[in-house]
Formats: sequence, structure tokens, C-alpha cells
Amino acid sequence: MATQTESRFSRYREVFLSFLSDTWIGYAFVIPATIILAVIIGYPTLRGLYLAFFEVSLLNPEQMNFVGLENFAALASDPIFKQALWHTVLLTALAVSLQYLLGLGLALALKEKVPGAGIFRSLSMVTWVMPVIVMVIIFRFMVQNGFGPINILLDSLGMPTTYWFGEPGVAFPLIIVMHIWRNVPFYAISLLAAMQSIPKEQYEAARLDSAGPLQRFRHITLPQISYVSMIMIVLHVTFTFKNFDIVYLSTGGGPLGNTEVLATYVYKQAFEQYALGMGASIGVVMLILMLAFTVIYVKLEEVD
Amino acid sequence: MATNTDPESRNIAQRIDAWLDDDMSPRRALVVYLVLGLYFAFLLLPVVYMVLVSFTSQEFLFSSELLPSLGDLTLYNYEAVLSRGDFRTYFVNSMIVATSTTLLVLTVGILAGYSMSRFEYPGRGALLYAFLSTQMLPLVLILIPFYLLMNSLNLVDSLFGIIIAHAVIGIPLGTWLLKGYIDDIPESLDEAAKMDGCSHLSILRRVIVPLAMPGIAVSGFYTFILSWNDYLLVSMLSQTAATRTLPFGLQLFQAQNTVAWNLLIAAAVITMAPVILLFAVAQRWVVEGLASGGMKGN
Repeated sequence: MATQTESRFSRYREVFLSFLSDTWIGYAFVIPATIILAVIIGYPTLRGLYLAFFEVSLLNPEQMNFVGLENFAALASDPIFKQALWHTVLLTALAVSLQYLLGLGLALALKEKVPGAGIFRSLSMVTWVMPVIVMVIIFRFMVQNGFGPINILLDSLGMPTTYWFGEPGVAFPLIIVMHIWRNVPFYAISLLAAMQSIPKEQYEAARLDSAGPLQRFRHITLPQISYVSMIMIVLHVTFTFKNFDIVYLSTGGGPLGNTEVLATYVYKQAFEQYALGMGASIGVVMLILMLAFTVIYVKLEEVD
Repeated sequence: MATNTDPESRNIAQRIDAWLDDDMSPRRALVVYLVLGLYFAFLLLPVVYMVLVSFTSQEFLFSSELLPSLGDLTLYNYEAVLSRGDFRTYFVNSMIVATSTTLLVLTVGILAGYSMSRFEYPGRGALLYAFLSTQMLPLVLILIPFYLLMNSLNLVDSLFGIIIAHAVIGIPLGTWLLKGYIDDIPESLDEAAKMDGCSHLSILRRVIVPLAMPGIAVSGFYTFILSWNDYLLVSMLSQTAATRTLPFGLQLFQAQNTVAWNLLIAAAVITMAPVILLFAVAQRWVVEGLASGGMKGN
């Protein structure tokens, strides 16, 4: 009897110890990634949030004056901030919805089994893999006055020519076009993969019920690509909302603030006005808006 | 069905069926080609045109001609760009940084992905969310504290500092993708290896890594282009020519008011060539993997 209890006890002990050691090994494996992230990104983030409540100059970052919510109050009455916020929201809404629609269209075209479709599929991601700076160079070259191909074409049609990134009404649409150019293939390939994983039998069954192509798209395709669509939309809303380099490298926020977005405004506040606290408070507003969007969108998707 | 023994007629019926199934009448195929043609004209013509222009003389480039004649073609731009020692340094730096970042992200990502996939411990789910939420942070918010931190760690103006910075951006998504792929490997294989007396590290090396290769290829590719293409972090951390990488180094050909377009375009082609080549090689896995990666998180 005694030996039985003992052996049972020792078995428990063994299970417990192996559970303990497994837990420790689990922690050990995840620790390198966690430490790198915590130190290099976690700490600066907390520090950035903290800075938003101070008046700090880049020229003397040690000297910090606590100002409470004053930075945020200043933002509320800052016309450039409001303009940048509006541009950011507009850019994100237009770029992401156009990308999604055009990506869906490309996915439907790539899904067709025409000869050579494979070549199109493999060529499609070229714009997505190239560096942003190279994309910007391509676009800036194309709209150069005098020798850029777009202007050569416009000129031959007798239309006005100019450096279009410097044209107030045109610079903003051009930036949307760059977003579309870069990201549509990624949407298309992801949506295509989702479409191809839909069992063919469902289409056959719908066909037997004499559902037309549009009905089949509405009732079979759309519901089953909704999860991937959600991922793509959340991913690109956050990407576009916080994106810095596409705008900064192509127009720098100009002409006359026409393409100023929150990310470029943060950068200017910090590095041109040396107002670190002010810049950080704009960053905090961006973070809050993005979190709010993600939570609401995911909740809405769950309700559906 | 069984009564239909005439192979000839059945064959025709099947062909008609298949044809209906495909729904690919010539008219429809034409429309599909037209749509694809429009898309790819928009996507690829600018790239093709840039590559073409990079092989032409400066006189042609600044002329108002749209297409070069044979006489305009030259390799001069590439010779001029590649003969610059600083540009060659940037290229080597880019290679070192992108390769090391990829290796670093894959190493810690495989460990973390394995841990999150196979071990139960308190805080596991929260950790994964914490990893992913870093993707939402606006980089501009953390730029200054990040710079001050790197400065105090002596990581400013060093390739190692740039590698660490890029790794931080790549680790969250890399870990998440790898966890998805490792989740797909049946746990019975781990158990079998454990029975044979394998330690966790050797299970990782002999079972997990070989079977997760497609996922490793995807995460590796994603990290490589992320590092290769980065401009913002390098512009922050690199202060001398010795640590510059290609995207930031392209400013070599843009002075305050004058841009040496012929050289800049050739240099831009050289800058994008490695990632495009890599993509061409890895395309099969990457396209499928990136697309299915999104669905795996379900």
C-alpha cells in the first residue's frame, strides 16, 4: 500500500516536473524575440507616450517640462494638424477602398483559366516588392516637366504640362495612385488564394439551382473571401494611416501643405520645429485612432 | 450511365461538359485578356520604361522623345554608377544588413513560433497579441526615443544597429507566420521524436525546421525585402557613408537642385534588381505562402 502511494506520488511528481520544465523551455524559446522587441520597440513606445505630456526640445532632450494635456489642447486649435488629419483619413479611405475594388477585379481576372494566366500571376507582385524609394523615383521621373513620359504624351495631345507633384490639385491624387500601384497586386493574390480554396462543388450546386454569375459571386464568393478581405483591409488601413515614406519622399507634404499627412507632420514637428512633445502627442492621436478603427472593424465583422 | 457504352459519344459529352464548366468562350477569353492587359499596362509599363531609359544616353533622357532609337542605347549610366566606390559600399552594406536581419529574424522567430505553437504557459496568447500589436505603432511616434536609446546603446552609425532595428520590425509578422506553419505540423511527429530520446532543440532541428521550410521561405523573403527596402530607419541610424544602404544611398545622385536622372535611374534599377530576382526565385512559395498566411491566423 505504502509503495503504491509512493509510486503514484512519484508519478505525479514526474508529470509535474515535466510540466514545469516544458513551461520553462517554452519561456526560454520565446525569450530572445521578446527581449529584443521589449527593449528596442516597447521601451521607446512607452517613452513616446510619456513625452506627449511634456514640453521637450530636440536640442535639449534632457530638459522636460510637464505640461499635462496642453499639447493635445494645442493640437485641437492647430489648423495644420486638422488639415493633416483630414488628408490622412481621406488618403486612407480612398486608397484602401480603391485598392480593394481594383484588387478584387484583378483577382477575378487572374482566376480565369486563360492560357498564360500563370505568367500574369507571377509578374503581378513586382510593384509590391520594390523599395518605396524606387517607386517614388519612377513616378517623379514620369511627371518631370519637359522630359517625363507623361508630360511628353500630354504635350503631344496639346494638353498643359508641369511637374505634377508640384501641382496643388494633382499631387494628392498622384499619391493615391502610387498606393494603388504598389498594393493592388498583393490584394489580388491574397483574394485569389481565398477564392481558389472555395470548393468547386458549391458553384456546381448553385448552377443547378440556376443561379447566375452575379448571384454566385454575391452568395458564394463574397462570404468566403470575407475573412481574407478583413485581414487585408485592417492591414492596409493601418499601413496607409501611419505611412511616412511614400508621402515624405514624393512631395514632402507639399505643395503648400496639400499632401501633409499626420506622419509627415509628426516628423516635421520633431525634426524641423524641434518640438518633441508636440510630435509625440500627434503620434498618440494616430495610435488611438488606429486602435479604435481596428477594434470597431473586427467587432463589426464578428457581428456579421 | 451504365447504358452509355459508346465511348465516342461519351467523350463528346464530357468535352461539352468541361467546356461549359470552364465557361471559357473565345469572347470571354478576349475580355479577360483585355482586362489583364489594362492592369499590367498600368503596373508594368512604368517599370519597363524605367529599365529601358536606364540604358539610354543623357541626351535622349532629357529630350522630348518618348522612345529611344538604337543609337541612343548605352551602358554608360551603369558604368558610371558602378565605378563609384561609395555606391559599391552601399550595395555591400545592403547585402550584409538584409542577409543578417533575415537570419536573425528567422532564428528568434522559429524559436518563438515553436514555443507559441507547442508549449502551454501563462501569458502565451497575450504575448502573441503583444507581438502583433507592435505592427500598429506609427514608427514616427517612437523615432526620437528610439534614436536616443540606440545612441545610448552605441548602436548609431553601425551596421549591427541597423540590423537590430530591422529585425524588430520583422520579428512580429515573422513569428506569427512561422507559428501558423508549425501549427500545421502534426504533433505526433514531435512525440515520436521525443520517444526516440530527442531533446527539444533536436526536435526543432530534425522535425520542425525541415517541415516548416515553406513558411521559413516566406518569412525569410518578407524580412529580406523589408530590410532591403527600408529608408526611414537607415536615414536615422546611418550617419556616414560607411553604414549607408542602397535606398538611402540613392541621394548620392540628387543634389540640392539638380538630379542626375540618368545615373539615378540606373542606380534605382540596381537597387530593385536583387529583390526582384529573389522574388522571381522564391515566387512560388511566397505568393502562396503570403496569401495563405492570412488565412492561417483564423
